[in-house]
Amino acid sequence: MTKLIQYLTLLFLALLSASCGSDTKRTTLDLENTDWETLVDSTSGKTVNFMMWQGSPVINEYINNYVVPTVKERYGINLQISGGQGPEIVQLVIGEKQAGIAQGQVDMVWINGETFFQLRKLDGLWGPFVDKLPNSKYINFEDPFISVDFQQPVNYMESPWSISQFALFTDTLHVANPPKNLEELERFVKENPGTFTISNDFTGMTLLKSFMAELGGSPKSLDGKFDQEKYDRLSAKLWDFINRNKKYFWKSGETFPKEQTKMKQLFASGELKIAYGYGEGGIEENVRSGLFPNTVKGYAWDNGTIKNSNYLGILQNAPQKAAAMQVINFLISPEAQLKKASPESMNANMVLDIDRLPEAYQKLYAKTKTRKYGPSMDDLKEHVIQEPAPEYMIKLYEDFRTAVIEK
Amino acid sequence: MKILERPLLKNKTSATGILLFIVLGVLPFAAAFIYALLYSFGLVGVISSGFTTEFWVSVIKTGSFFKSLGYSAAIAGIAVFLSVVIALWLTLKFKSALENKFILMMVYMPLAIPGLATAFFIIQLLAKGGFLSRISYASRLINESNEFPDLVNDNLALGIILAFLTMIIPFFMLLFLNVYKNERIEDLRILAYSLGATSRQVRNKVVLPILLKKTRVLIALYFIFLLGSYEVPLILGQESPQMISVLVIQELKQYDLDKIPEGYVVAVMYTIIVAIAAVFLFLPRKREQYV
Amino acid sequence: MYKNWRAYVLPFLVLLVLFPFTYLLFLSLSGAWYYPDVLPKYFGLRNWRTILSSETGLLQSFLMSTGISLAVAIVSTLSGFFISKTVYYHPHKRILNLLAYLPYILAPVVFAACLSYFFLKLGLFGNVTGVITAQFLISFPYALIFFSSFWNERIKNYENLVSTLGGNTLDRYFKVLFPLAKGLLLVCFFQTYLISWFEYGLTSIIGVGKVQTITIKVFMFIKEANYFYGALSCCLLIFPPVVLLYINKKYVFKKIA
Repeated sequence: MTKLIQYLTLLFLALLSASCGSDTKRTTLDLENTDWETLVDSTSGKTVNFMMWQGSPVINEYINNYVVPTVKERYGINLQISGGQGPEIVQLVIGEKQAGIAQGQVDMVWINGETFFQLRKLDGLWGPFVDKLPNSKYINFEDPFISVDFQQPVNYMESPWSISQFALFTDTLHVANPPKNLEELERFVKENPGTFTISNDFTGMTLLKSFMAELGGSPKSLDGKFDQEKYDRLSAKLWDFINRNKKYFWKSGETFPKEQTKMKQLFASGELKIAYGYGEGGIEENVRSGLFPNTVKGYAWDNGTIKNSNYLGILQNAPQKAAAMQVINFLISPEAQLKKASPESMNANMVLDIDRLPEAYQKLYAKTKTRKYGPSMDDLKEHVIQEPAPEYMIKLYEDFRTAVIEK
Repeated sequence: MKILERPLLKNKTSATGILLFIVLGVLPFAAAFIYALLYSFGLVGVISSGFTTEFWVSVIKTGSFFKSLGYSAAIAGIAVFLSVVIALWLTLKFKSALENKFILMMVYMPLAIPGLATAFFIIQLLAKGGFLSRISYASRLINESNEFPDLVNDNLALGIILAFLTMIIPFFMLLFLNVYKNERIEDLRILAYSLGATSRQVRNKVVLPILLKKTRVLIALYFIFLLGSYEVPLILGQESPQMISVLVIQELKQYDLDKIPEGYVVAVMYTIIVAIAAVFLFLPRKREQYV
Repeated sequence: MYKNWRAYVLPFLVLLVLFPFTYLLFLSLSGAWYYPDVLPKYFGLRNWRTILSSETGLLQSFLMSTGISLAVAIVSTLSGFFISKTVYYHPHKRILNLLAYLPYILAPVVFAACLSYFFLKLGLFGNVTGVITAQFLISFPYALIFFSSFWNERIKNYENLVSTLGGNTLDRYFKVLFPLAKGLLLVCFFQTYLISWFEYGLTSIIGVGKVQTITIKVFMFIKEANYFYGALSCCLLIFPPVVLLYINKKYVFKKIA
């Protein structure tokens, strides 16, 4: 037996020491001081790994059947998609940091504010790089909904990709006057028990932030740096509201759907009468694909809902930074953005400033079909809230679990 | 002790074999455990700030691990118990039918469906928007999907238990059939009858004791497998409480970076429990067990 | 009366077994199936055509999974066979047996989460080699334990006999051990193939979503609530084992003792 333990310890140490020397060489290209032309010359034949949320068929369709073949054809870049959102990306960065991996698994990531915050905290993002992308000239960085992500200045460390506002939706055939504030919601769930829920994910927490702003008295009540005292005060009210009413929620509030896709299914099958999401509700694709009936309409919340951008970032240890820049530059090109905006495609708002586009694209944009079912961002502009500081989201996640789910 | 150790060193192939066994079978487990242990005490990790017991205290205080363990054990226990009972009943009732090739194939078939597909199928079948709900609606048993009972992602874990049952009943049936044949239970049964036993006595004193005694280690093993299962509760479970594996992964992937070590605390506690169970199951000298 | 009752139960059970297979196949051929319709509005080959032709890479995943599982099955069966010989002839075999069980009964997903650091360090993260290695780590103990009952006094005596008669090591393996163990080797091969083929949690962690095996795809489709594609990929997941079963069930699943 002692022999066994000796062997074991020896091998364990051997493995550790062997693995510590495995640092690979860093890329030699000095990206900071190279001009764009030279930089992109080097990208052909490179493989870029893009980690993104793969929860929507239309997004996957846009990426797999348009972006991947186009960057391959035009730039010779092999774009590899892998599935993973916020926590998975952060988890990967933590792991690689810990293991001292210089050449990471993933080059670029699709993120939003709270992941941006965590990656900055871990020093996991590479940049600033956005100002080097030729197509960034079409982006209006004066727009605070673009240049400020969850109350943090973006500083060219991540490139905006889409901009969208949160909205609620209902089937107008069954619900003529959907609730537009907490008071009405309380009445609604009592009259229609089991037809409302909060998804235990990014989407659900975003709704809770809107509720919290309403409890704070105005769309601007959560603006500014994270304020623990304010959070404690308002979240206490919020948990009180939810715990008071959750017996009228879906499954009597004893459990909550894990993902917004699940919530959409529940809405489709008629279990839920009200649901919500980014992309002004994101209902267009679902009506078109037949998941929702065409009587479904999106609507605004009185005190406003959150509007934000989502971004593309490059990781600090990305092996193919130049090629990733090339891909991101393509993703924010007028062409790719216009394609993405079409209601028949991903139906995501352009992050580009229309007035800055070349005339040809402006004309094309004017011809883009408008949505039939979902509201446009313009329809919601009176009811807008800026994304609060990321700590609100992180704390809400934690406390929603302890104060509501586990109660 | 000296004499016993000799074969290990006597023969070079034997020593290489044991070495390979340790590298491939023991070392990874030991490495994973030590890593999780260090992490749980804040000794490794990007945001680690030295030795601390705060994560252990916090996990023990909130009781999330014990709740999850109790919940997992209850689900696994019920599923294994029901599977054994149903499989015994089916095997003994349909013993002659099971000699038919086609029927036997039907017992094998479910083994081709992995947990992931089982869970997917159960959602399709039993969710409020699922196939049974549609049939109930069409036959006017319910007026809207909400009236259909809660069978998946539910409080009582009915969906999970059902998935487990469909996965392991066929396995236990094949097991019991095998033991029945190998242990010559048929002969013993006839013998008991000829000695004047009633059929109830034959069943309770001869058939069942042999079947269960020969298979108890394997039954316990399946309990442990179900305890740690991941895909099925991930798809069919509810948000709280959760089964152990789901809890571990959720804790490791959470937004609050400072709390990630708590996930490793749960992983370490779970590993210790499984290891203790293994010691009790496999260390005692056992005679003719099916494992 | 009693007999009648049994005559109804058996066909019912057979239907119950066949139902999931037919239902999943049916679902994969369906489209536009809204609540509360009992039957879908579309029925045909559309899903199969799109998924096999477009960039979703399901076919690629299928081939990749096949490759991974074959590699895992071959390596773990052979290494399990050879190494189990020394382990189960060893005087401390009870302790060694216990050690073999530890990684076998630990939840693979938890095992993978705790091992991922080492995989990262060794450059085995997010690639096929890493996934094969990780799956090997859980199927190897299975193979090892699987062969434990094979190594008994009788086999030892045969081996000794060959040696006494002047046979060398190769003779021992090719003339005695392999012929005797042929059936078991095949069963173990199929079993470890299935362990790998069905594996999800560990693969998702070590593959970081980059190694998209069939199970990873199934889960992705479930997540995006794309049930028709989900059912289709479930079919791809289930039917190869069914075919193996049909060919010869006694080799596919462990015939105990």
